Amino acid sequence: MASAPEPSSLTTLISNTGSHPISALTTQILHDLRYQHLWTSLQIHTPSKDSPSTGEQQQQHYSTPLISGIPPHRIYTHPDEQLYMLESGLRDEDILPERVFVLPTAQDQSWSLQKMAAVFDYLPDTEERPSLSGGDDEVNGSTKAVAAHLAEYYKQTDKARATKEWGGKRILLAMANRGMGGDGTIVYYIIQEGIVKPRQN
Amino acid sequence: MATIPTLPIPISYITDRYLLFSIDAVMYLRREHHICGVPIGTLPQIPQQNVFLGLPLELTPEEARLLVEKGIAFIIDEASSHNSGLKTLGKEDKSGYLLELEQEGQRAARLQAERKEIQREEALKQISHKINAESEVIQARDPAGDLNALEDSEDPGLFTSYHQSGNQPASSRASVVSGAPMSITPATSYPPLQTLSSCEFSMPLPNVPTSYPLFAHLHSKGYFLAPGLRFGCQYLAYPGDPLRFHSHFLVVSAEWDEEIDLLDLIVCGRLGTGVKKGFLLGGVEKKSHVSEDQDSQSIRTFSLEWAGM
Repeated sequence: MASAPEPSSLTTLISNTGSHPISALTTQILHDLRYQHLWTSLQIHTPSKDSPSTGEQQQQHYSTPLISGIPPHRIYTHPDEQLYMLESGLRDEDILPERVFVLPTAQDQSWSLQKMAAVFDYLPDTEERPSLSGGDDEVNGSTKAVAAHLAEYYKQTDKARATKEWGGKRILLAMANRGMGGDGTIVYYIIQEGIVKPRQN
Repeated sequence: MATIPTLPIPISYITDRYLLFSIDAVMYLRREHHICGVPIGTLPQIPQQNVFLGLPLELTPEEARLLVEKGIAFIIDEASSHNSGLKTLGKEDKSGYLLELEQEGQRAARLQAERKEIQREEALKQISHKINAESEVIQARDPAGDLNALEDSEDPGLFTSYHQSGNQPASSRASVVSGAPMSITPATSYPPLQTLSSCEFSMPLPNVPTSYPLFAHLHSKGYFLAPGLRFGCQYLAYPGDPLRFHSHFLVVSAEWDEEIDLLDLIVCGRLGTGVKKGFLLGGVEKKSHVSEDQDSQSIRTFSLEWAGM
């Protein structure tokens, strides 16, 4: 007698974390980020528990959890920021990746501008910055020059964040392909608030 | 060279279209107000022409409304205004206008003749330079006397023949042209007809789709907006004149609580990224508590790009 195949590790994980559809979705996307895209320090933010904005209306509209984590490499660079980095000789890998917020969604979920705005209102204004003193072990000349450029770059980033010239708040939209014929594909799109010119791919 | 038409500009409303017939107005609106419209006119001989279209320029209701709201233009019911205008046009006005047209035609003919004359002289100068240079080269290369003599004897002949063939027919043509005024076909009916923005034929604000606030918002940020059919969206937003720039965004507007299919975000986002553009979704924010100043609508916009992962 052939027994039923073992459930996949993802199925096991989802069945262990509860039966609520939203939590299953969040778990699925978190799993994808951790093992497919190698993100680290992943967290789930549930609005009711740790809401930074205290307005009642926002909580009322917004109830889905967000995921945040640190990607292995930067996932978005604004075109003007890229120009600045080129001019000061900074490469992508010189800058430590920042924490990115991810919005988990499923393909047939209903959506509206209002919901989108509620997500962005819920997002914190400032992202945490990786500490500058992280690279103590490398003290040769070239990294010193890079560190000076980096300090200048972070100053510029703060300025750009205030004026929003390098884009406004941003979030990664993750959409899972579910239901009938769902093959487990998850797609990722960057959404930014405001009119942000496209990257030159 | 920048001509400014008399403001406000009349926008002709004909069979549910907003049309502009004056080239000065078209150039002015594009240059100063970032309104491009779509040229829809063909040559009379080629009604199936579908490229290089010309006047008239069709404006979308959004463009027309924006111009009217800014006080740059007004809408006029062209058919009735034209009929009544022609009826009330006096005999003296009519003959004066015809005389003016004829004078303009004469001016155009004279200008053309002068330009031809200048071109002809330049061409002749070039030819004589060329011939002189050639004969010098030949002389320098060939010191042999008898060949030189042959060239010398032939050169003036060549030269004069150039002069003759170039000179006589051209001058006779020029005299013909400057004699007859060119016939001018006026493209506008204002003038000769008089228009006032407060006249009985001026029309109310054009009806616009609900995407108008987003249109006006993007326009106020300096974007040029074009119809978006080519990329399956409502508008294409260009950061400058479309002749100089590629568009930055595929723009879609939505009501604040209108249900959006999430798949549409992916469709437009992926297409946009594929053609090096962003996808811009926006609309008027509906605040839950009604604020005192209802005039100041706040527009929320979101830009979307494929993350590439």
